Amino acid sequence: MPPAKLDAEAMARRAAGFIAPGDVVAVDTGLPSLIPGVTPPELGAWFLRNDGMLNNLPLSLADAAAITRGGYVNLAIVNAAQVDAAGSFAGTVSAANPDRQPPANSVDLAAGSGRVIAMLSHTDDQGRPNIVEALSSPADGLRCVNAIITDIAVIEVNGGGLALSEVAPGWSVDDVRAQTDADLSIPPALREMDFSLPANAPPSKVYPDGPSAIADVPDGATVFIDGFGGPGGMAHYLLISLRDRGSRDLTIVSNTAGIARVVSFGTPPGRTAIDHSVLIENGQVAKAIASFPVSPSVSRPSEFELAYRRGEVDLELVPQGTLAERLRAGGAGIHAFYTPTGAGTLIAEGKESRNIDGRDYILEYGLRADFAIIRAHKADTNGNLVYRGTSRNFNAVMAPAARVTVVEVDEIVEAVQLDLEEVVTPGVFVQRIVKRPDGFTGYE
Amino acid sequence: MTADKERLDRAIIAMRVARELPPGATVNLGIGIPTLVSMFVADDSIVFYHSESGVLNCGPLAEDGNEDIDLINAGGQFLEPVPGMAYFSSVDAFAMIRGGHVDVTILGAHQVSATGDLANWMLPDRGVGNIGGAMDLAAGAEKVIVAMEHNDRNGNPKVVQECSFPLTGKGCVSLVVTDVAVMEPTPDGMALREVAPGWSPDDVQSVTGARLIIPDTVAEYEV
Repeated sequence: MPPAKLDAEAMARRAAGFIAPGDVVAVDTGLPSLIPGVTPPELGAWFLRNDGMLNNLPLSLADAAAITRGGYVNLAIVNAAQVDAAGSFAGTVSAANPDRQPPANSVDLAAGSGRVIAMLSHTDDQGRPNIVEALSSPADGLRCVNAIITDIAVIEVNGGGLALSEVAPGWSVDDVRAQTDADLSIPPALREMDFSLPANAPPSKVYPDGPSAIADVPDGATVFIDGFGGPGGMAHYLLISLRDRGSRDLTIVSNTAGIARVVSFGTPPGRTAIDHSVLIENGQVAKAIASFPVSPSVSRPSEFELAYRRGEVDLELVPQGTLAERLRAGGAGIHAFYTPTGAGTLIAEGKESRNIDGRDYILEYGLRADFAIIRAHKADTNGNLVYRGTSRNFNAVMAPAARVTVVEVDEIVEAVQLDLEEVVTPGVFVQRIVKRPDGFTGYE
Repeated sequence: MTADKERLDRAIIAMRVARELPPGATVNLGIGIPTLVSMFVADDSIVFYHSESGVLNCGPLAEDGNEDIDLINAGGQFLEPVPGMAYFSSVDAFAMIRGGHVDVTILGAHQVSATGDLANWMLPDRGVGNIGGAMDLAAGAEKVIVAMEHNDRNGNPKVVQECSFPLTGKGCVSLVVTDVAVMEPTPDGMALREVAPGWSPDDVQSVTGARLIIPDTVAEYEV
């Protein structure tokens, strides 16, 4: 006679053992919802819940889904009713409500996450196995589960089927097999469940200075440069750091390609703003993707326009709203979308177009970058960002769409010092934080 | 020569356009003459200004010495902070435009065709141009009004049968207000609605590249 099965808290502790420092962990309702409560805070995990809470930061469901589909979730822990031998799972069913409940966001989680763990009781109320050869109801996720945690075992799913990797204390292989309706292989490393939890902190996101924060920008990189065009919201210190690093053959994506230096756009009288021109005159830029690339004044051409006329740089001109939406899509795991903007114009040439409900639309693709250099007013040490005024337009959109987002701020504060209601960019989108040096003005 | 007749100044064009803004409308103003329109909206007619820089309910421009680089409109002008403003990202700014939440946009133009095609982002001689938010506004705003001079610096008509410059949007313009006339693009062609004081419909036709549809009565420009 095997001992009692694990209770829900013990299962949650075992699940927490899968979390690495700083991981973004999507936790479903039901059993997975207990995991945040047993995870050591030092681990710096970000728990994303179905209701849009990211730890204690409230997000819209669209932003929450963007985190999931955008590839930011390292680990998704879903509440399953059944898992089959191929790693497909079906969502919550209960005896009181035998019809399947809507899958909430578990379908998105299954599609977008790095690693998926299913949690469930090993058997249902009547003692029938929940780990089965084939699901008895439609799947919420097909072949997406990497590991299963039940109240008697941990099972790894690999291409060849299910492998029993851990058993609850006092449980034998035969006891587990007796309650399982799928083949379980028994690897030599089979062990008893361990409930100890890691408590090591993730590496700090705060870098000592600009050069160290962009030291690995390679030649040929795609780099998002923030701001609307004027000095507000532009990461001048990081721009100078990137110029000094000298990475070449860059593709820059930005609203303008550097106009602030030659016109008064957004610049106080008597000042000359640092802009993209510092990279262009240094021969570092191969291509710009922009909506407002050149000076509004023909008689005062920018460095970019001069280089463009010399044939030294390429230009991909994009309507501003399409640029914003391409960035959003890139960060949110949406590969492409149809927009009416530009239909029937030069912008539509060479693009797939489609008439939908009597109107012409063109297909535009999401944009991603290796690096984003963006400016914010304040960051906490987790990377949550607060902006000032209109200096958030492209910044907030670029942060999610880059592999590495480096942010330049006036002030870095401890997490408890930031008003979470004011946070615009959640820290999961920010990898590196640099304080703008005292006295650095952003003007030449 | 009729083109020598006195034309209205930019402020009068703006004043005429201001009459097209219904109270409570959400309005996006382009650069140039459109920017002047806000000066002529009656005090008791509340209009909400939207700007692609990520701000709604923009107030007046900041006074000299009060420039804040974190508070600009899409033209790069500094704004005075006023109660009731909202800031947002570029995604939201353009969701407002494409999603049909901007009632009226007022744009400048290089050319407008008889059927309302708009060309305002590139002069072919320059070989490169700025689109900015213009294509999204042309595609998304509920009503697109063009405010411009009737002829370019060399006297070439800007109201044309077909645009020769690269388009911003097809069939998107619903009203054209210039320094000599108010016109309405229709599927059948450009209909003349109003003429500037001292101008006859024939005078307007003589400086216009599009064949005008001239109704029996054409009002004088009301401001």
